[in-house]
Amino acid sequence: MNPSTWTGKQQLERGVAAAAMVLVIVWPATGFSSYWTHAILIETFFFGIAAASLILLSAYGGMVSLGQTALAGIAGVIIGNLATKGGPGGTSKGLHLGWDPTLALVLAIVLTTAIGLIGGAVAARSAGIYFLMITLTYSVIANLTLGSVTKISGFSGIGDVNRYTPGWIGNILAHPNRLYYVALVTAVGVYALIRYVVRTPFGIALQGIRDEPVRMASLGYNVPLHRTLAFGFCAFIASLSGILYVWWSGQVAPGNVDLPQTINLLVMAVIGGLVRIEGAWIGAFAFTVMNTYITPNTHVPLLGFGGTLFGGSFNTIIGIIFLTIVLVSPDGLLGIWGRLFQSGQLSRWTRGTPGAEPAG
Amino acid sequence: MRRITLRSWKTVALVVVAATGLAVWTTGSLAASRANVVKVAIMTDCKGAFAFGYDLDIGGAQAAFAQYAGGKAKNKNKPSAGMTGIHVGGTQVKIVGYGCGNDTVPLAVSETKRLMEQLKADVMVGPLSGDEAVYVANYAKSHPTKTFIIGTAGSQDPTMQIAPKNMFRYHGDGAQWNAGAGAIAYNVLGWRKAAIIEDDYSFGWTSAAGFIADFCASGGQIVKRVFPPLNTTDYAPFVRQLPAPSQVDGVFSTVGGTGTAAFIKAYEQAFGKIDPKKYLGNLFSSFLGADKVVGPKLVGSYVGGFGTAAGLKTPQADAYRKKLLAIYPKLPTDDGFVYNYYNAAWGLVQGLTKSHGALGAKLDAAMPRSIKPGFQVSSGGVLKLDSRRQAIQDQYQLQLVKNPDGSVGPIVVAFVPNVDQSFGGLFKPTDPPPGRTQPPCVKAKTPWQGKIHVVKNGKITSQILK
Repeated sequence: MNPSTWTGKQQLERGVAAAAMVLVIVWPATGFSSYWTHAILIETFFFGIAAASLILLSAYGGMVSLGQTALAGIAGVIIGNLATKGGPGGTSKGLHLGWDPTLALVLAIVLTTAIGLIGGAVAARSAGIYFLMITLTYSVIANLTLGSVTKISGFSGIGDVNRYTPGWIGNILAHPNRLYYVALVTAVGVYALIRYVVRTPFGIALQGIRDEPVRMASLGYNVPLHRTLAFGFCAFIASLSGILYVWWSGQVAPGNVDLPQTINLLVMAVIGGLVRIEGAWIGAFAFTVMNTYITPNTHVPLLGFGGTLFGGSFNTIIGIIFLTIVLVSPDGLLGIWGRLFQSGQLSRWTRGTPGAEPAG
Repeated sequence: MRRITLRSWKTVALVVVAATGLAVWTTGSLAASRANVVKVAIMTDCKGAFAFGYDLDIGGAQAAFAQYAGGKAKNKNKPSAGMTGIHVGGTQVKIVGYGCGNDTVPLAVSETKRLMEQLKADVMVGPLSGDEAVYVANYAKSHPTKTFIIGTAGSQDPTMQIAPKNMFRYHGDGAQWNAGAGAIAYNVLGWRKAAIIEDDYSFGWTSAAGFIADFCASGGQIVKRVFPPLNTTDYAPFVRQLPAPSQVDGVFSTVGGTGTAAFIKAYEQAFGKIDPKKYLGNLFSSFLGADKVVGPKLVGSYVGGFGTAAGLKTPQADAYRKKLLAIYPKLPTDDGFVYNYYNAAWGLVQGLTKSHGALGAKLDAAMPRSIKPGFQVSSGGVLKLDSRRQAIQDQYQLQLVKNPDGSVGPIVVAFVPNVDQSFGGLFKPTDPPPGRTQPPCVKAKTPWQGKIHVVKNGKITSQILK
């Protein structure tokens, strides 16, 4: 971490990161837009956490998982059932057991991680498209189970969850900035934790398994175990995202873990770039901003073709952007950034040596 | 490998300034707020099973704003084109946005946040669908400075179990709409044992609850309850769970939206042509485009109501129709979507008039506890709200008939006066909301037993339905 050894690209990136950190830390105090504070940025933080779990599995484990949305949703459903209270004026769905919110929080994380470990163990011996399909199945199972078992959710889902936050966090409805900072600190913590884990012997072995599973197995590494643990670890990360989501939105329903939502998370990860953890939050931010400002009434000039062919729906526009990114830069926005350096276009800004360095 | 240079920090500073500038630019327009403007959002669906309700809902609400608050429609044939010039007293009312839900909760979350937080609406007129209203009720509880007037959602929870103080509903819930349908099944059709197929969500359950409570109150029994998920396309597995027509006296269905036609098709494939005397649907069998595909297969069958009375001939109803058509000539006046949103917006205009444009708790206190909507007849045509701000509303039960021109549509056959949400105490805030096992089937006394009037040719007769 000695700045004197940083390349020009690293200098610029760390400068931008530091500036972005300062900006998001002081943002609520600026009072520019409470909607940006309490919706767009908080969404960026928690969707970014879920996308980070997806990118971690993909970039360091070689496993593209479509199960992260389901795992986040499961954590939300657990906390919704355990923490909310029923009766007149309370929530009207779910088990509403009314347990201590801190206990519910811990149980949601532990149970989701346990479910992740089980799911990981089942999927660990497959790879590539098969792994993708198995994890997609997890999302479908979660969606249909929550919809069908009305005792714990039903299609209505569980509402009112944001009134039952732990005492040490306090009332996030009266003080929404608290949720902002909780989400921010969690996101930074998750980022730091991932950076740490990928440099541990476990993380290095995982990258070895990503590149050469057979060779790693012959060296004595237990490949399925490493994959299972990685999946479990990412379930833990996804659970944090799910909990922040229910505190933010107040509810969780099967619709949160359906196919479109599952794909949305993948789209965020791909937009950001599936190779670097930072891409998670960049992708989540880009997606959330587009999702907010492209409404059915948005009509993009030149794309209408005089009719409603591209009537400006969010799905059309995000689809075009997604296609463009996949075709132009398979490594997402961060890939474009990296390539600008490789081509030397940004290097002169920092007077550094052009060239790539290892991911992360 | 070089040291950090001054120039790179200049770059950082440049980026920070640019980001700050961008943020100010993006948010500056949002932060601007004008005094003395009441911001209203109309929340409805533009996707999913009820997407067709989009212009009906917006049209209903805006017709009331035009009629009572001077609004000018931008396009008489397309309500969603917008409305300007709404004033209540000296207060300008601005419609800041239309919500675009798809009857699921996650989209209701993002749309509600967009309308109430990004566009900073003070009042919501909406939403359309049952689960959405459950979410919005929870949202209302945590946003006490804003006011919510349900558009046409029929789940029970928002004004029974959740019942936030800043939420109002000037129409019946799904159970109220079906008050009297069970009595018709028991008394007119002679059913004693019925099966029921319910959409597996808040509105399906509430709608079924009204039939179950009414039918069982008369002495009937429910022998089977089946729950297809919302947006099911193949109903065969669910139809097969129903007892054959020979084993029960009839089937009651709350399968709705785009599912109604698919369900009827699957039912006919399993059990043959439907006997209209052994089938009773809720509003989905007669409203919402059901006249084209579903209607012809169900001619003669009775149908649960929607709080509206197609073809009712009273001066109050005629006046309502005339006012509405003057604003939007193509809107179906007797449609529940239009009628319910109209009354919601009308209630808001009355509340703002009384509060002199004040919002929050003052508006909540000023919201009318009684209004005179078109199809209300009891109590001198006055509809009252109960203590949980839920309408006590006249209900009308229907029958599908073939019109002289060959089309199929509902006519009103029964009038059920002043139906309250609790069904005379059968539903309570302390009970769970309607669900797969709720309510149980119990013989009881409803306030309207023996008071249901026969309606003939649009006129309420003194004849009691037996």
